[in-house]
Amino acid sequence: MNTAIRSGSPVLAPATSGFVLSAAITVVFNTALAWVKDAYPPLSDFMGRIGGHHWTTHGVADLLVFAGLGFVFTKTRAAEKIAPNRLTTVLIGAVAIAGLGLALWYVFV
Amino acid sequence: MNISSKDIILLAHAALGVTGCMAALWVFVEALSARSESARRIQTAALVAAVCMAAAWICGGYWYVQFYPADKVLILKGPWPFAHDVFMETKEHLFFITGILAFLLPFTTREKLYTNPAARTLVLSVAGLIVVTGLAVEGAGAIIDHGVKVALLRAASKGARP
Repeated sequence: MNTAIRSGSPVLAPATSGFVLSAAITVVFNTALAWVKDAYPPLSDFMGRIGGHHWTTHGVADLLVFAGLGFVFTKTRAAEKIAPNRLTTVLIGAVAIAGLGLALWYVFV
Repeated sequence: MNISSKDIILLAHAALGVTGCMAALWVFVEALSARSESARRIQTAALVAAVCMAAAWICGGYWYVQFYPADKVLILKGPWPFAHDVFMETKEHLFFITGILAFLLPFTTREKLYTNPAARTLVLSVAGLIVVTGLAVEGAGAIIDHGVKVALLRAASKGARP
């Protein structure tokens, strides 16, 4: 047993919980946007015109969603309603679904 | 020796990505036995991971936009078209997930991991996800590189035939 870990309040700071929830939503948004871009080329072309390349615009959109939702969730303390361990599970699940969703899409579609 | 800026940018992209993964692994190992004395080291490693991933994003993005189209044509004409159709398409979007996780890591390491088991679990999870997705991206990069190589080898062998 690790004696360095002592029991304490399982609460996260508002910015931590806010940005964890934001990250979970952003990674799913990232995969959804990749699917829509691939299935609907006019969107990819439109994003290419905005940022010079669809990939550049996609990355900026991800960063804006991550930062924007992170600040909103921190201010409103919305993510604090979710238990920390559940928030961690949500993040792991979101990354697994988003990552596998990307790989399977490009293998089969 | 003829090393172009194109080569340097590509190698910097891969090297920065690996360094970011190693920094995340450092966070993971330190967090396994978190103590008050290791808090500063964990925060430093998390910051190194975030900075390296940001730099890898910029280098890789510049190379992808400026130089990859020529490689893409080669790959699609070669024997390994899936190196682009599957691996590059997945890698270019999976990298965003690794990047977002790397930017999240410094937020999570500000918690007192030695008194908060839930925060410690969170940091272990985020750092572990960075390592796993980062290594998947690195592996995809190697396959894309090999896709170019086999295309060039086939073109060269055709050119060498009498």
